[in-house]
Amino acid sequence: MNVDFGTEFRSRNNFRTADRVSLGASISYKVLPWLKASGGYDLLIDNNHEKITYQDDGVSYNNWRPSYWGVRHRFNVTLTGSYKVQRVELSLRERWQYTYRPSKLIDNFDFDEGEWEDHEVRGKGKNVLRSRLQLDWDIPKCKFDPFASVEFHTTDILEKTRFITGVKHTVKKIHSFKLYYRYQNVNRNGDDDEPNIHLVGLGYTYKF
Amino acid sequence: MKKVLRYSLLLSALALAMVSCQKDDTDMAAILAEYQVEPASVELDFTELTEAPDVPVTDENDSAFNDYEENSPWNKVINIAFDGENATVSGSVPGVAIQSDGAHLTILNLSGPVKFVVSGKTTNGSLKFYGDKRFQILLNGAEITNPHGAAINNQGSKSLYVVLADGTVNRLQDGTSYVMVDEEDQKAALFSEGQIIFSGHGELSVIAVGRGGIRSDDYVRIRPGVKIYVNSSALDGLRANDGIIVDGGVVNIETTGAGAKGVRSGGVMTVNGGRMIAVSAGDTRVGLDDDGLTDTTACAALYCDTLLTVKGGVLKFKATGDGGKGLNSKWDAQFQGGTFIAVATGTRMVKKPKGVKLDGSLYISGGYFYSYSKRSDPVETGGTMHVATGYTTYSLGPKVVTIAF
Repeated sequence: MNVDFGTEFRSRNNFRTADRVSLGASISYKVLPWLKASGGYDLLIDNNHEKITYQDDGVSYNNWRPSYWGVRHRFNVTLTGSYKVQRVELSLRERWQYTYRPSKLIDNFDFDEGEWEDHEVRGKGKNVLRSRLQLDWDIPKCKFDPFASVEFHTTDILEKTRFITGVKHTVKKIHSFKLYYRYQNVNRNGDDDEPNIHLVGLGYTYKF
Repeated sequence: MKKVLRYSLLLSALALAMVSCQKDDTDMAAILAEYQVEPASVELDFTELTEAPDVPVTDENDSAFNDYEENSPWNKVINIAFDGENATVSGSVPGVAIQSDGAHLTILNLSGPVKFVVSGKTTNGSLKFYGDKRFQILLNGAEITNPHGAAINNQGSKSLYVVLADGTVNRLQDGTSYVMVDEEDQKAALFSEGQIIFSGHGELSVIAVGRGGIRSDDYVRIRPGVKIYVNSSALDGLRANDGIIVDGGVVNIETTGAGAKGVRSGGVMTVNGGRMIAVSAGDTRVGLDDDGLTDTTACAALYCDTLLTVKGGVLKFKATGDGGKGLNSKWDAQFQGGTFIAVATGTRMVKKPKGVKLDGSLYISGGYFYSYSKRSDPVETGGTMHVATGYTTYSLGPKVVTIAF
């Protein structure tokens, strides 16, 4: 059984603007040599993008909601099956994820009224099934192990697809660094308010 | 080496977090300032107005010659004094017949120019005139309330000169329900089939609770010196089918009825001077048309069916109800001088409130023009907007348009 703690920081706007800070913990258990079960919780602190809406003419402003910080709570239950062929490991991860966003009062400028008003972002929960297929390649005598994955986020439709490729570097089985490139294709903008995006990520894991 | 790498990574992450503190919102400060602007004040103003002397037209060929009561002989005089439920008539003019029913007087004038000097107070009286001869009503401290219709009703089609005796305060009020006569109109507390020309240096208050305040099925001229106040909780405040000419005077109008207009001119409206302020507080009137379809009529502080020309004076119009317009015109509007302020602060649930809405074009060549709309366009024209060169202020904002010469 493993217990993991993690934190994540995301930026946007060419590193100039904080996008998300998250803190999480998970617990995992190897049910079978090839099957792992886990459950986890993440506290997501999001810097939500500004939102501008226009009148019917498409030019005149209607509402402006500046960016704001909000909190979400995310729970997940995961099953991961893996199969190793020589030095290549193929894994399939199925994750049910429930995210709850509490309601929050935020500022909204109503251009018709010419004044600021309170706008309630209603609280709501969302279920997502995340299916990820990943290939990890352990290259002999190489300190960097490449990996690639594709992940589908499904609700009632396929909302989001992530394509990831990168390398992993592990030092003494304690420190693990990960550098990756991710392309995200969004079919329907959900709570994350994320666009289609190319991003570069840097990860660090410390194993106690 | 590994330690250095580890700390470098941690420091990099920390540095990244620290520099990522900039907002990526659109810079809206200047835009918001344009939208957060407060409207110009438009409130009724009963203060004295200094005006240039009112010089009557003396050229008989001038189309306005007959609008000046000074150009008619007024040697035929009849005095009417109201006193509660009764009216005392003194003076006799051949060709003038007067019937009385308590304080309700019906007058047939076949005599030509006759001056009726009216004074006293009645809470159940009226004056009704027949005959196609021009005549004058000199209001000399009169207070007439008719619970069943118009306080003054002129069925004749010739000029009605309403002269406000110097320094007097006069009051006319209609009733909530009108008793109608077949084939006769009775559209306001002060109604005339013919033109109404207001003059003198007195005050007239018109309170309308059943229909309009002042209405002519011809035109209305307002001369310098008069002070007119109209409060209508039913229909339009001041309305003339064939046009309105404002040469001067102080006119304050309030309307609260749904779809009611403060001032409505069915013909050309020309403003040469004076101070006219109208505030319409009613919402859009929603009803059914002849075909049973939903019909909506928005309020307007000033409504013109044809051309509006402003050459001088101070005009302020404000609509506060849903969809109300400061100025709503089916034609062009020309601003050549004076001060014009139109404000719309109403909601936009049924109709869009606009400071100035014209089906025609807007021409501005002088004076001060200001239009504000809280929830829609300050100016909308069906035609084009023409502004002459030489202006000192030219500002077209999302809420306010200001042009000054």
